[in-house]
Amino acid sequence: MTKTNAESAVLPGKKVGYWKKLKLDFLKNPWLYLMLIPGLVYFLVFKYLPMWGIIIGFEDYSPFLGPFKSAWKGLYWFQRFFSTSKWMTYLSNTLILSFMSIIFTFPAPIILALMLNEIRSIHYKKVTQTLLYMPHFISIVIVVSITYVIFGTDGIIYKLTTQLMGRSIDYLGDPGVFRWMIVGQNIWKETGWGTIIFLAALTNVDTQLYEAAMIDGANRAQRLWHITLPAIRSTIVLMLVLRMGSVLDTGYEHLILMSNALNRSVSQTLDVFVYENGIKNGQLSYTTAVGLMKSLVSVVLVVTSNKIAHALGEEGLY
Amino acid sequence: MKKLVSLFLSLALLLSVMSFAAAEDDVTLNVMLPDFYSDSDWKSLEDGNPILQKIYEATGVKLNITWVPDSGYGEQTTLTLADPAHMPEVMVMQGVRDAIMISSARAGAFWDLTDFVADAENYPNLAAGADSVYDNLLVDGRLYGIYRARAYARAGVYYRNDYAAQVGYAEEPKTVEEFKDMCLKMAAIDPNIYVFNMCKYVAGTIGVMTVMNGAPYQYGVNAEGKIYPAFEDEAFQEGLDFIRELYAAGGIDPNFMTIESGNWNDAERSDPVKALMRLDCLDNGYRYQEWLEQNKGADASAPIVSLLTALPDKNGKIQIWPQNIGASGEIVVTKAVSADKLPAVMKFLDWCSSAEGQTLLNCGAEGETYWIHSDGFRYTYPEGATDEEKNTADTNTHVILHSLNQLGMNVNGDLTPPAAGTILRDEYNQNLLDNAQYVIGNPCYTFDSETNNLMGASLAQEVEDAQVQYIAGKIDLAGLQTAYANWHAQGGDDILAEYQAIYDAEK
Repeated sequence: MTKTNAESAVLPGKKVGYWKKLKLDFLKNPWLYLMLIPGLVYFLVFKYLPMWGIIIGFEDYSPFLGPFKSAWKGLYWFQRFFSTSKWMTYLSNTLILSFMSIIFTFPAPIILALMLNEIRSIHYKKVTQTLLYMPHFISIVIVVSITYVIFGTDGIIYKLTTQLMGRSIDYLGDPGVFRWMIVGQNIWKETGWGTIIFLAALTNVDTQLYEAAMIDGANRAQRLWHITLPAIRSTIVLMLVLRMGSVLDTGYEHLILMSNALNRSVSQTLDVFVYENGIKNGQLSYTTAVGLMKSLVSVVLVVTSNKIAHALGEEGLY
Repeated sequence: MKKLVSLFLSLALLLSVMSFAAAEDDVTLNVMLPDFYSDSDWKSLEDGNPILQKIYEATGVKLNITWVPDSGYGEQTTLTLADPAHMPEVMVMQGVRDAIMISSARAGAFWDLTDFVADAENYPNLAAGADSVYDNLLVDGRLYGIYRARAYARAGVYYRNDYAAQVGYAEEPKTVEEFKDMCLKMAAIDPNIYVFNMCKYVAGTIGVMTVMNGAPYQYGVNAEGKIYPAFEDEAFQEGLDFIRELYAAGGIDPNFMTIESGNWNDAERSDPVKALMRLDCLDNGYRYQEWLEQNKGADASAPIVSLLTALPDKNGKIQIWPQNIGASGEIVVTKAVSADKLPAVMKFLDWCSSAEGQTLLNCGAEGETYWIHSDGFRYTYPEGATDEEKNTADTNTHVILHSLNQLGMNVNGDLTPPAAGTILRDEYNQNLLDNAQYVIGNPCYTFDSETNNLMGASLAQEVEDAQVQYIAGKIDLAGLQTAYANWHAQGGDDILAEYQAIYDAEK
């Protein structure tokens, strides 16, 4: 791009202030800034403005008084949460479940995509792919109902494992099994759908690389390791960083459906806490504070994982 | 400018006067009610619902009802009250001492109805309600709702006496100890048939069993006048131990914690039968017998379901678990109703408790949802109806009557046309009269404890979870006591102290 008058007016080497730079840039690309406005307005109205709602986390909020008249409580609700001995349980349940899902659910679509990629018959591949997408469209309520039917004491899997192992596993009640059931259901439901983005990335791999590698005598595993994986590495890292942002969102409906008196010690995450106390018991301020705290932890996780992505030589999110 | 404003204001005044003039005969009332037939259609007034039409003709009130499935009603209550601009005008609050009820009343969400209920001249039906029950509803000494009357002595045990006869109990057990013996013997009949029919909602089963066994309800007061939680009572532990023993003997479905309360009937109404007994409201017992008569050809003259209640424990003491406090929730009028409209709304609520109102809300309209047969009793189908016609009548009832009875308060007693008695129905009704004296209460029921409002529910949940784990053999007595100790440490002690202070002050 050629230098404009405005830009050349600045002496080289002189430090230019931020606002000055912005002004110069604005003069240089006025139309681009004009086009930015709708996006900016969108974020202001739908993302930044509603954020003021978190103010109720610092008040004794009553909907009938409104956010401006409700009594100010400062950090009372945060102190209250940390003064109960249960907060560690909620946080650790959330973190354990989240990281189990990162470790086990995240790689599953990558592995499946690589496997699909190796299928030679194009028709078989298409049919398989379509079938694999199906569980994504099944409501989690149905998934849990199916789980109840096949893992309950009358269920086929319960009976099968009881026969094979000679002892019964309480799939639906044992706290030790609970997290594996959740992770398993998520893998079953979302893995097929998750392959889409990785399959798209795989189509971009240059086939000449494979041919060259084959001439050099690389076998399938070596081609996978040295060509395919490096080619989709940036996609994987990007997906991982995105995933970290929502890693603490364990969701509540799935956990509530699967939880009962026997496994509640491990099923109570921060999201469940917010639902139980906020929606069911109407403690809006308390649960807003807890939700806010969860968001802070999420921000830390995103920033950290982005840093790690940079350290790995990837672009990351920003 | 001033002129313009005054013109505008006078115009607004004129309009409001006009609308009020119209409202004198015609009031549209937005009502939110729990729905027990959410799988069935609903016909609104505009769609030509004959019952709503009759209500409109009788009162000039057009009911606009928002149905909320019963299982999600509690959540919907919170969400509704979080948006004061869009509240219904009249709604059911299911828990009269719930934190949400108390905090909303204090925040000014509901109209203070104290004076209306005291006004026997204009609101005779509401004023006829029992003061003892109204007192349970008070928030800071003021009344914010009309209770929905329920019989006190509803709870007990109902069981299949044909199976009990197989283990030597052709006669009903006479004491709690005999009852326990019968349960354990029944557990041995068939490994595929359970004794207690239990589901996720365990409070009823544990409550009926422990109170029958001599424990207090929720809180007790010891000889020194100190308040203690019911679970620390010896009789409570004994009752819980019995349920655990029965579970170990194969008398309870190991999956009970995954059964939703909406599917509670399934185990007893399955073929072959999967559970023989239930600790619950006894009206479900006579309904079970009626179901057996209709679907399994059971003999109506010799019921195979027995109702069991008011059994003496081993010390000879008779206690009945209070399924309720004489009420099941309350009807509140929200501030969505203007001060001008309030008397008309209260008039309508008063009418709901009149004989005409009660009949329309609970039974519907004659010839539409109920029929008076030649024996003089009320039936849900026309006289001489075939099975198919009975089914059609049933479906139609769900569509047009739906759960309208949820709006019924009936504080002045049941004024609906009597239904034909069956052996169990009559026994049940007689029980209500005979046994009200044995129903125990929670001494701290109306006490307002800040800690309890804030965390009472979650603390109670943890204790209940531990009790379930104890029943299911997942934890031992030490584990249970750890849970109780946690209850004390995490806020239970504060609740007890706050209750004790009020208790001592009231004494």
